[in-house]
Amino acid sequence: MNEMLLRAQGLSFAYTAKPVLRDVSLRLRPGRIVAVLGPNGSGKSTLFRAALGHVRAQGVVEWEGRPLRQWPQRQLSRRVAYLPQFPTCDEGQTVAQVLRLGRAPYWGAFGLESEQDLSAVREVAQLLELGELMGRSMDELSGGQRQRVFLGRCLVQGPRAMLLDEPSTSLDLHYQVEMLKLLRRLASEQSLGVLMALHDLNLAASVADEVVLLDDGAVVASGVPADVLRPDVLSRLYSLPMERIDREGRLPVVLPAI
Amino acid sequence: MKRFGLSHLLVTLGASIGLWAVLAGACLLFGSSGVHWPGREQLGVRLEPTLIASIVGAALACAGAVYQAILRNPLAEPYLLGVSSGAALFVYLWSLPLAAVPLLESLSQQTFAFLGAMTALAVVFALAQRRGRLEPVTLLLVGVIVNAINGALFLLVYQINLRQRLTSAPDDAFRFLIGGIRTNLLPEQIVAAAVCVGVCLTVVLYLSGQINAAMLSEAEAQSLGVRIGRLRWVALIVASLMTAAAMSICGPIGFVGLVCPHLARRMVGNDQRRLIPVATGLGAGLLAVADVGSRLLQHLPVGVLTGFLGGPFFLVLLWRQRRAAGMGGR
Repeated sequence: MNEMLLRAQGLSFAYTAKPVLRDVSLRLRPGRIVAVLGPNGSGKSTLFRAALGHVRAQGVVEWEGRPLRQWPQRQLSRRVAYLPQFPTCDEGQTVAQVLRLGRAPYWGAFGLESEQDLSAVREVAQLLELGELMGRSMDELSGGQRQRVFLGRCLVQGPRAMLLDEPSTSLDLHYQVEMLKLLRRLASEQSLGVLMALHDLNLAASVADEVVLLDDGAVVASGVPADVLRPDVLSRLYSLPMERIDREGRLPVVLPAI
Repeated sequence: MKRFGLSHLLVTLGASIGLWAVLAGACLLFGSSGVHWPGREQLGVRLEPTLIASIVGAALACAGAVYQAILRNPLAEPYLLGVSSGAALFVYLWSLPLAAVPLLESLSQQTFAFLGAMTALAVVFALAQRRGRLEPVTLLLVGVIVNAINGALFLLVYQINLRQRLTSAPDDAFRFLIGGIRTNLLPEQIVAAAVCVGVCLTVVLYLSGQINAAMLSEAEAQSLGVRIGRLRWVALIVASLMTAAAMSICGPIGFVGLVCPHLARRMVGNDQRRLIPVATGLGAGLLAVADVGSRLLQHLPVGVLTGFLGGPFFLVLLWRQRRAAGMGGR
């Protein structure tokens, strides 16, 4: 698995005078989950937007070895799906309509759909157990169900990589774990590369192959969770005393020492 | 779950044309000699205003649907954004001798209308934009102000012309202030407007799939393969062109672009691939009906009637939107 999905090298960006990203580098390979952690305002969302070209950052971004600017938008959206922190849908849209919109990069002129478009939607609906909800309005769903639908919209794109900005927002612990388990499964079974921003350090450690710690727009540590999630690093990052509980044969747990 | 394929598109277009045909056909029953199916001679007389109203209604309804989707604002429409009055003002200026200067005289009436529409839209955007975002109610407030300024400019130029006796009959001039369906148009004017509306409608339908994605946030639309900046410009220019084509033959008619997309939404939902053709057919038919209504009501300009009917509709929508925003903020 030497193939690289995403290579971001030396990314820097500022909305105003203050830099939001400072020389950030990261890589994403197929089948791997990389969690980006850091306090609010550390630049996680901007990093995702820079990787997708939604903001023009300095530095190099390559998807599958090809510079970002050489990717036509439509082609890139067939390879890379993005779930923002607060995904949207139109008022009154049904689950089926939201999922079908995920095939927009494949639609022809006049928005004509192919049979493949519908079978992709059906497959994802089955995978995420959304079959019974297909006719329901998004307004009637719980936060967890809505988030599953939005994740489904990303999967319908048939991506090789997914960028998920705090996908567990508004989910209770049960659904957070369910969603992360699903992502783990997709990464393993479909060689999907997942880059996601998370706040929960322990959940990130439990699912990610690699974590990247961001502070004030710069990478302060990256690597396998057990190496990176150290109390000294985390204490500086969150301005809180942190402690780590090592458990034999299992992942360590980090938590504030209060 | 049915696939939106070619057959589905054709059925939607057929249903939209059918909707228009039923409403427009009913309009042909009404004439000055009473309510009955017209004879061959009467048919031509009744057909002309029905067709002109249909072209104008189709243009306004389609433009309204596009504005609402692209601006993500259910209250957006050509009249309320000041686009209609901008186009009408420029057409009025075109009709004056002052437009007969070497550079300007080569421009057509349609071009003037388009310049007016785009100028009004640019002013509205420049004033309503804050940090790259268009707040829905601010957009409408600025649209109202631009409408008022366009009205004031019209009256100013009108007064100047009246004193210098440059203008044509007053009732003809005032159609640029309150829209009405005229029957003294040249065939070329009608054909030019119809062709322009037809071409723009085809472009809008071609883009309707992308317009669906444009209703999401900018980042989501981009990640679904839509070049959102380019799409917005193309869609807004095409919608404004369509509005300008309609305004150049009838003056500003309000609320058709607001009411018809909302009625169509109730009929077929939010999918722009269905909504745009149905709203267009509905707009074409309903303005033809409104024109018959206004003729029965002492030959009022149809803009007066659409204003009376559309105004309360707008207030209900505004109230519902503010209530939804209030509930969302809690």
